[in-house]
Amino acid sequence: MDQKLVISPKFKIAAFVMMGIGLIAFIYAFISHPGRGWANLLINNYYFIALAIGGTFYYAMQNITQAGWSVGFNRIPLAMANFFPVLFILMIPVMFGLHSLYHWSHPEAVAHDALLQHKAPFLNAPFFIIRFVIYFAVWIGLTQLLRKLSFKEDVEGGIRFFEKSEFLSKVYIFALALTASGAAFDWIMSIDAHWFSTIFALRNFVMGFYHALVIIFLVVLLLNKQGYFPFLNEDHMRDFTKYIFVLCIIWAYMWFAQYILIWYANLPEEAIYYMPRTKGEFTPLFYTELIVNWLVPFFLLLIGKILRSKNMLIVLMIILMLGQYVDVYMQVTVGTLHKLNIGFIEIGSFIGFIGLFAFVLMWSLSKKPLVSKNHPLLEESTHHHGH
Amino acid sequence: MAKTNIIGVYDDEDVLMKAIHFMQKKNIQIKDVLSPIPIHGVFEALKLTTRLPLATFFYGVLGTSLTFAFLYWASVVNYPLKFGGKPLNTLSFIIILFVATIFIGTFLTFMTFFIRQKLYPGKEVQILDPRSTDDKMLIVVDKDEKLSAAEINDIKSAMRESGASEVNEVEEITTKKKFVWKHEKDIH
Repeated sequence: MDQKLVISPKFKIAAFVMMGIGLIAFIYAFISHPGRGWANLLINNYYFIALAIGGTFYYAMQNITQAGWSVGFNRIPLAMANFFPVLFILMIPVMFGLHSLYHWSHPEAVAHDALLQHKAPFLNAPFFIIRFVIYFAVWIGLTQLLRKLSFKEDVEGGIRFFEKSEFLSKVYIFALALTASGAAFDWIMSIDAHWFSTIFALRNFVMGFYHALVIIFLVVLLLNKQGYFPFLNEDHMRDFTKYIFVLCIIWAYMWFAQYILIWYANLPEEAIYYMPRTKGEFTPLFYTELIVNWLVPFFLLLIGKILRSKNMLIVLMIILMLGQYVDVYMQVTVGTLHKLNIGFIEIGSFIGFIGLFAFVLMWSLSKKPLVSKNHPLLEESTHHHGH
Repeated sequence: MAKTNIIGVYDDEDVLMKAIHFMQKKNIQIKDVLSPIPIHGVFEALKLTTRLPLATFFYGVLGTSLTFAFLYWASVVNYPLKFGGKPLNTLSFIIILFVATIFIGTFLTFMTFFIRQKLYPGKEVQILDPRSTDDKMLIVVDKDEKLSAAEINDIKSAMRESGASEVNEVEEITTKKKFVWKHEKDIH
């Protein structure tokens, strides 16, 4: 159990090459198509913010329910908590690109728009930036505390840290309910400032939770291939895939709940959100989003052969990662660029972000033992047997 | 003639698990294991398989298609009524499809289970040992008529060796006769 993750030089080189591609993509974007550059920065930032929110929520949930089976892998969501400081730095430039992203940030547009004037007390640049700082302060503060507790437990042991983590996790999920909703409203929903959906925050949160599980499981499987987590057995895999299966259904439920109400009521101010998405050049992506995130995993995760095969699961998890990209892409691009662009800028920047955050994840994992040492439920996790 | 079972009564689940493996090593066919609590690993140790999930999947598919057929017939073929400017064959089917699929899938799965287990409301259930609903675990072995006395003795001694607190013979009653539990004291 004393294994420490060793980052192989190959991985380091690959990660830095990917980051280089991303950097080139962004430099190219900001010189030639600044609008696309800003949109892509927001897409990729939000992609990983959602993952970090989902990952830390998952960790908090494991503490609150005192789940035993997952204890051995909990260092991965804890490492995902380290996305927040990096994302904070990456979100700062977005605050300078408000004019390219958000319609409401133009005073001359607000002057002729009664609806935006009505929303102005909330949607204005200073308050927007204040909220941005508050969200990240809450996330970074609480998740770093959770990390600290877990590492202290390694050294000192005892039930104290277990109980403290549980209490802190409860505080965290309450804070997350407010901040994650606010973040989704601020950064994504205010792109279409005239439009609103009350289920929007929940839908985005579920997206993050779902795909965070995908990332956690993917990292577990990939590290297991390298010889880490020797205790990983079929029951762990079954529990992970069950978790992902359930979240896949919840994701589809939320996606559909938002869509059908707007479709059914057919109010012009609401339906306008789905018009460019369902009719026009975004149509294929609209259906791709649903098929990749729901239809494919729903049927594949019913098949026992796939659930037992690590290689097939790795492929499926990678497909689901792309599914989340389509999801975020659809939410951001339609309102900002009004045009479907998929080229070097989109692909390169996404590759760059994957390289960066894969490196952040591995780096945080390698700093501390890969499996927590004195957790009271660790034995249950390493000898997990479930039905 | 009524069938008879040899029953080993165990007090502890770990002992029971070991006993199962012990008896399987001696090639004794275990008919059933009864326990008041779920015990990890019994299902695998007895090499039980179930096709019930597969059946559920097909019931779900059946439920979806039947419900869709009905909705389509009702709102497109038989009584096409436009409202709200929506097409006849629409998305609003999905919610009821979702609910009906779950209902039909669950209902038919339960029915299948009841039929396969020959269960029905009001059935007089034969409890081989009433204590198996309380704090004892049982290993049930069929006492076949073809078994010789020596073989039966082997089974009984295997049960005792593996830690059974008692070994009993219980007659299965198939008719409406009230069930009698014969207690044959174990001699240690």
